Amino acid sequence: MSGRSAGLRVKGLTVPDGSRWPVRDLDFEVKPGTVHMVLGERDTGKTALLETLAGLRREERGTVRLGDDDASPRDRRRGTRFLPRELDATQLTIRERLLVARPPRRFGIAIHGRRAEEYARSLAKRVRLDALLDVPVEALRPLERRLLELAAAFSESPRAVFLDEPTSELGPHEARHLLGVIHAIAQEDGIPVVFTSTWARDGYPDADAVTILWRGQAPATVSTADVTESALVDRWTGGGLRRAPTGPHSAGDPLLRIENIVLQGRGRETSLAGVAFEVRAGEVLAIVGAPADGLDLLHDVLLGHRTPDRGSIQFLGKELSATDRRQRVEAGVSFVSPPHARDQSLGNFSVEENLILGQTRRGPFARRGWLKFESIRGNAVRSLSDFEVPDAKPRDRFARLSLGARQRIVIAREVLRDPVLLVARSPAQGLSLEAQEYVRKALVLQCERRSGLLWLSEDPEEALRVADRLAVLAAGRLVWLPVTETLTREAIIDEMSGTAA
Amino acid sequence: MIPGRCRGGAWSILANVAAFVLLAAGTQFLARQSSPGNPVAWAALWTGDFVFVAAGLLFLGLGFLMPLHAGVLNLGIYAQFLAGFAVAAAIVRTPSIEPAARAGLALAAGAGAGALVGTAMLWLRWRFAVHEVTSGLLLGGAMIPIARAASLVPAGLPALTFGLYQAPVLLRWTPGLGLGHSFLLTWGILVLALGLLIALVFAQVLRTSAHGFDLRIVGSNPLAAVAAGVDVDLVQLWMLAAGGACAGLTGALQLWTHPAVALERWPFPFAFAGITVALYGLGSVRGVLVASVAFALWLNAPGTLVSLGDPRWGTAVSLLLVLPVLWNLPRLLPDQGAPRALWRTRHRQTF
Repeated sequence: MSGRSAGLRVKGLTVPDGSRWPVRDLDFEVKPGTVHMVLGERDTGKTALLETLAGLRREERGTVRLGDDDASPRDRRRGTRFLPRELDATQLTIRERLLVARPPRRFGIAIHGRRAEEYARSLAKRVRLDALLDVPVEALRPLERRLLELAAAFSESPRAVFLDEPTSELGPHEARHLLGVIHAIAQEDGIPVVFTSTWARDGYPDADAVTILWRGQAPATVSTADVTESALVDRWTGGGLRRAPTGPHSAGDPLLRIENIVLQGRGRETSLAGVAFEVRAGEVLAIVGAPADGLDLLHDVLLGHRTPDRGSIQFLGKELSATDRRQRVEAGVSFVSPPHARDQSLGNFSVEENLILGQTRRGPFARRGWLKFESIRGNAVRSLSDFEVPDAKPRDRFARLSLGARQRIVIAREVLRDPVLLVARSPAQGLSLEAQEYVRKALVLQCERRSGLLWLSEDPEEALRVADRLAVLAAGRLVWLPVTETLTREAIIDEMSGTAA
Repeated sequence: MIPGRCRGGAWSILANVAAFVLLAAGTQFLARQSSPGNPVAWAALWTGDFVFVAAGLLFLGLGFLMPLHAGVLNLGIYAQFLAGFAVAAAIVRTPSIEPAARAGLALAAGAGAGALVGTAMLWLRWRFAVHEVTSGLLLGGAMIPIARAASLVPAGLPALTFGLYQAPVLLRWTPGLGLGHSFLLTWGILVLALGLLIALVFAQVLRTSAHGFDLRIVGSNPLAAVAAGVDVDLVQLWMLAAGGACAGLTGALQLWTHPAVALERWPFPFAFAGITVALYGLGSVRGVLVASVAFALWLNAPGTLVSLGDPRWGTAVSLLLVLPVLWNLPRLLPDQGAPRALWRTRHRQTF
């Protein structure tokens, strides 16, 4: 299974459009068997860069060499593999997925059953999925899906492999595991690998070098041997952990009480096994966990997308477990999802229309079934001003705005409803650093109005910045950790991965 | 001129009245025929067929456009069209129904049958997970023999025609406009006016009402619609029923022309004329109006129908019309955002 690559060299590469800050004059080299990370916020052109390297876009200027030869986009399309950020869930089993590209054939026609089985098993074994060959891909956990696609990509002996934000939906320990596997396979096959990330920590310990894309400035490439993890992280985040600006809060009466929630996970998703907590007025409760370890399931239960098998959800003393999202919103709960979530905004609609989403049945924006355009416009002007989105106009198309501006608008809509309880699921994920600070501040400030804030996140650092109380969701159960000065990110990760003493 | 962007107001209404007057005058110019009431009228090659075909295309266009705005690809438009035709033909032939009532009843029943087919498509999706594209095409195939059987026996047609001839008498303003006694022309204009009215109301509701807002959310992003508390299934059901009613009404209206024309001169892909009209109109109500008139002009051009009667020409022209539509269909899937995705994706291609 040895590769035939002799490395990747990029010289003077300029990538056309596709992002707010296009990549210009990029130089770097990836030796065979090494891993290279491209670090950047959203909209800095990471995906466009990888698509260009993989030959899916034509470069505006510069050269990409695979081995000793200049590689045209056509050569790169044929010779390399690109794994996008969002993978399609299919109904194929792992075995079938691994046999899609190059099944061993009998006389070049029919698939050779025995050899195909051995071939699929050997590929799956590289990523330790050989015990799951008959499991459908759609039933896998996000980490397992990534590993599967990785095995499939390397099976074709490409000259280079490009992965777009492979860790974006993983918890920190899962991300580390994935990157370790990538490094091991790349080294074994002698294939250069380039991946992108928004998290500086992903570069350690497996990447050999990191290329930093910073808002249209000239890209810089540093060797991980020359810069320590903490130095890069500090430089990237602008310093160590800082709490969100409002400081610790004094908790009031209970708003939301979750009691003994049990829910069977789908596929290989971890089930919720008796989750119980309460959120009080004026406090931030952070729950940290990996998405497939129950965090997504808990979020679905809170949204009303899934009904628990057992247990109760009481909000202000009323049972909500059988209600849908709409009824929960009407009861006083607001939801903020990750910025790229598709369920909280309408890209084709205008800013002012996004600001009234879900509020046209009653309230100030409609009368007798007809929209009140003056109120809608006035609300948009005020919201854009109050939430500091100066570049946006009420009639601008929402999708044209930066991710940070879009998330501010979503937060404006949810906060201006003056909710009793805010449920935020990784609301700052992938945003620029200033936007992350702003989002945290805007949401945490809501606690001063005596709202409760439930913060669900897979990022321990983010949770540490906002939490008054903190729990780790691991194996479907909550483990409570006291929020003190001595609580560290590593302690939370240990609880998430089940390795805590 | 269609209120949608200008959100109503006196100027908008005036503009629409002017548009209608212009259309009526234009069609009168194109379709004037000699008749007992107006014997010196110029006998043009283009007859009242033009108005009638434009009205039919407009209804079919709306039949596709309405569900499209809710994110549903109504490929059952042919089935709805044939259901409307078959049911209307059956009513016309029923002796127990008062002859004078047959025309109106046939129209209403045709629209109802189309709506029923649309509803059945969604039921098949909910109950058996049959995609509406599949069920629409299969139902279209199943309806062909039924509609052909309904068109074979012309027993009921004289009664219907009798009813139609009364129309110019009932509408005393039509001679004042200089219209001939051609029932085809008169009824064509009435139907066209009805189509315009439905289009205007739909555009207005879509843009300025809370229900229209919900409908656009469903078409653009069903996930966001669910999050906003919209009942996506219900909205899609209503829109498919409304679209089916438009297509069924078009089918029923074919009884006003010679049924053989409807079924023989319109080859199979032409039954998807509504889809073609909606897509060439770029998925907007205004575009559908323009496209339906343009297609009607082309269909009434000398020699068009004759050449379309030739299977080779018919197939070639149909393919030319339908292929761009098929090219765009994958981009009109609900998750991609319908129907403005046409423009967006076309210009977003980078490679």
